[in-house]
Amino acid sequence: MSGSERSDAEAVLRVEGLRKRWPDGRVVLDGIDLEVRRADVVVLLGPNGCGKSTLLRCLNLLEGYQEGRVLLCGAEVSRGSAQGHAPTRDEQRAVARLRQRIGMVFQQFNLFPHLDALGNVAMGPRHVLGLPRPEAERVARDALRRVGLEDRAHDVPGALSGGQQQRVAIARALAMGPELMLFDEPTSALDPVLVREVFRVMRSLAFDDGMTMLVVTHDLDFAREVADRVLFLDAGRVAVAGTPAEVFASDDPRVRAFLRDDAERR
Amino acid sequence: MARLRTPPALALPLALLLAIASCARHGGAVAAGVSGGMPAWEPVEPLAFDAPPGTALRRVLDAGVLRWGCDPAGGAPFALPAPWDPRELVGFEIELVARLCDHLGVRSEPVAGDWLALIDNLRAGRTDLVLNGLEVTPERAEVVDFTVPYYRYGQQLTVRDADRGRFASLADLRGHRISVLNGSASVDVLTGAGWAEEDIAQYEDSLTPYAELKNGRVDGSLAESIIAGYYAPGVGGLHNVPGTFSPGVYAGAVRKGDAALRDAIDAALRRMMERGELGRIYQRWGVWTDAQRELGTVRGPDVARIDLAAVDAATGLDWGAVLAELARATAVTVLLTAISMPLAVLLGLVLALMDRSRRRVLSWPARAYVQVVRGTPILVQIFLVYYSLPMLGQVLGLGDALVWPALVVGIVCLAGNYAAYEAEIHRAGLEAVPKGQREAAWSLGLSQRQTLWLVELPQSFRIILPPLVNDLVAMIKDTSLVYVIGVRELTSVALGIGKSRLIVPEMLVVAAGFYLVVSLAADAFGRRIAARLRRAGLPRPALAAHATHRSAP
Ligand SMILES: Nc1ncnc2c1ncn2[C@@H]1O[C@H](COP(=O)(O)OP(=O)(O)OP(=O)(O)O)[C@@H](O)[C@H]1O
Ligand SMILES: [Mg+2]
Repeated sequence: MSGSERSDAEAVLRVEGLRKRWPDGRVVLDGIDLEVRRADVVVLLGPNGCGKSTLLRCLNLLEGYQEGRVLLCGAEVSRGSAQGHAPTRDEQRAVARLRQRIGMVFQQFNLFPHLDALGNVAMGPRHVLGLPRPEAERVARDALRRVGLEDRAHDVPGALSGGQQQRVAIARALAMGPELMLFDEPTSALDPVLVREVFRVMRSLAFDDGMTMLVVTHDLDFAREVADRVLFLDAGRVAVAGTPAEVFASDDPRVRAFLRDDAERR
Repeated sequence: MARLRTPPALALPLALLLAIASCARHGGAVAAGVSGGMPAWEPVEPLAFDAPPGTALRRVLDAGVLRWGCDPAGGAPFALPAPWDPRELVGFEIELVARLCDHLGVRSEPVAGDWLALIDNLRAGRTDLVLNGLEVTPERAEVVDFTVPYYRYGQQLTVRDADRGRFASLADLRGHRISVLNGSASVDVLTGAGWAEEDIAQYEDSLTPYAELKNGRVDGSLAESIIAGYYAPGVGGLHNVPGTFSPGVYAGAVRKGDAALRDAIDAALRRMMERGELGRIYQRWGVWTDAQRELGTVRGPDVARIDLAAVDAATGLDWGAVLAELARATAVTVLLTAISMPLAVLLGLVLALMDRSRRRVLSWPARAYVQVVRGTPILVQIFLVYYSLPMLGQVLGLGDALVWPALVVGIVCLAGNYAAYEAEIHRAGLEAVPKGQREAAWSLGLSQRQTLWLVELPQSFRIILPPLVNDLVAMIKDTSLVYVIGVRELTSVALGIGKSRLIVPEMLVVAAGFYLVVSLAADAFGRRIAARLRRAGLPRPALAAHATHRSAP
């Protein structure tokens, strides 16, 4: 599972020259280029407010952007547009299709509180993929098993710990059979003792299932241990990129400052 | 996935209500007949008429029924709920029209309505005749066609017993406040005699002017002698000053241009005058005066007088029948709420969604609707829909497509009015669902619509349930407003019985008890649903988006 073994695999995600401005004119993403190859785990690092979340949200068009384009498995799925994305019905449908192929895990879990774990995970298969209910629930149980929560299928989110909720959220994304999974600080809202169970699930996804993942995290241990590549983002640009070892050894002052701050925080 | 099912308990009350609804057949119409001691009339050969097609007369004859307007709250002895059975209407005009209909060969169907609105009701096409102590005045003659007059009345002054010596005529009362029936000829008499508007206290029914006189809020009461003769002795402690003045006549009213119908009614009335039938009716109800001869009315043979007060005393108040009638009226109230509130919640949702839309053709009308409805009194809305919409329909050439029964108008108005408030509640509820919920749904690939129905609404519904229940309870009480268009709901029935038996305070207390029971039941029902939802998952609703509700105007 070393990076070189997979280096010639196809690029699941390619981002070319992505630029985004907020309506007030501030530039948040200033020409992002990146590539995530099949079964790779890419970790995005960077100081607060550098645009990591915004970048992930642009990839599945929760945010629009003005310039550049995004390719999934070699095919363009969106390109910059001044008017913003998805105004017409057809375009909305295309956006929905794109989102089916990209799983997203949020910092705040965002589980549906009125449904139990099974209901949360079966939502996509049932209503997006259109599977009959028993089939959708079978898929959902499989996904719950992969995150080790098959015995909590009928608990509502309110009855689960934070770590368990985040694992259900991962299962919810997994159940759609995505080609790419985006994680936006999946453990930041968790007590330290709960962080490990979530990372264990993510590690198993990477190593055992060969899932392609783009992960925003402040957890350097996770980056060191699991990432194939690390991108260091600063002020809306990719400042430094490389293997974890390369990036952590970089003498770029911004990286050094970031690592120093991180050490102090502990 | 959704583990909640509609509580089966809901089905039963709904079925019950539908059953009741089918009993409460035609909106404002009430049963009338001659029973409980009313003498029956001998059969008569109906008059023959030339009724051209397309005329009101043709319609009435074809339908075999004459729908005519009266206000039972206006009271005795014109038209009032019978002492022996509040569902039955009695009074000299009830008997008069019943007999009139014998001569026309049709059935009489009194349609109850607020007295001041009887003419609006006629013009809206809900009735074909108004015959309820309507004084012939030039102003009225401009909007309706009058039949031949059937009664000659005079004004009679009433004062407190203690003031007998002080006030012997209207002139003695100059500068004092005088109570009258709202919109009656007495108002014109007082105005003509120089009374300032603020010294004329107008009331909606015949009883209150006398109650106010007794209470001392006014020093005199002026009314047509028939009214004074019935109500002043009933209230007690009052003195009817002998002699009448400012005479006038009552006549029936038909829509302008319904000449064939008017001619037919005229012919029937004349026949009743000549045959002494009208005279017998007047004697029976104690309203015969020799002045009636001036209209051509023959007194006829002597007839025993019906003394309603004596009937009261003899039968006593049948509380069983009264409570049964109130229970029936409560069912109408519950029915109104049970249909209007779900409609309001649905329509409110539609409005809230339109409001949220980015397209102005949708958001703009929704916002305008909410503002207009919230910015105008519900009473005005009810009048507009009931009286003005039918006229608009005629102007637009829709015939009587916009002439809806009172019950339907009541439901439309309550639902339409509350929808504006529920829209705001829905809006607050949808806004209270965290943005992350929508994004999580979208990132799964759910469409906007699926996100709304599967994720946002189930959560917002739980949040807004408490304010919805609050409004449900408020609506139960607001249903009383539709009494103004003659729906026989709890308040109107209680007031009707109370006024005819002179026990208004007692009836109001009993009606309040009925309202309380229904409100408590609705509240308990709402709490049970909330508890069910809580057990099914969500934590307690956090939001207190209480759009505190205004009460009756
Ligand atoms: N909807 C918005 N409109 C305007 N500015 C925004 C909006 N959302 C975020 N921003 C700004 O854009 C910048 C980038 O935000 P983003 O959330 O992408 O940063 P981040 O790298 O994820 O930071 P963090 O580590 O704190 O999560 C920040 O300065 C933020 O204040
Ligand atoms: Mg972020």
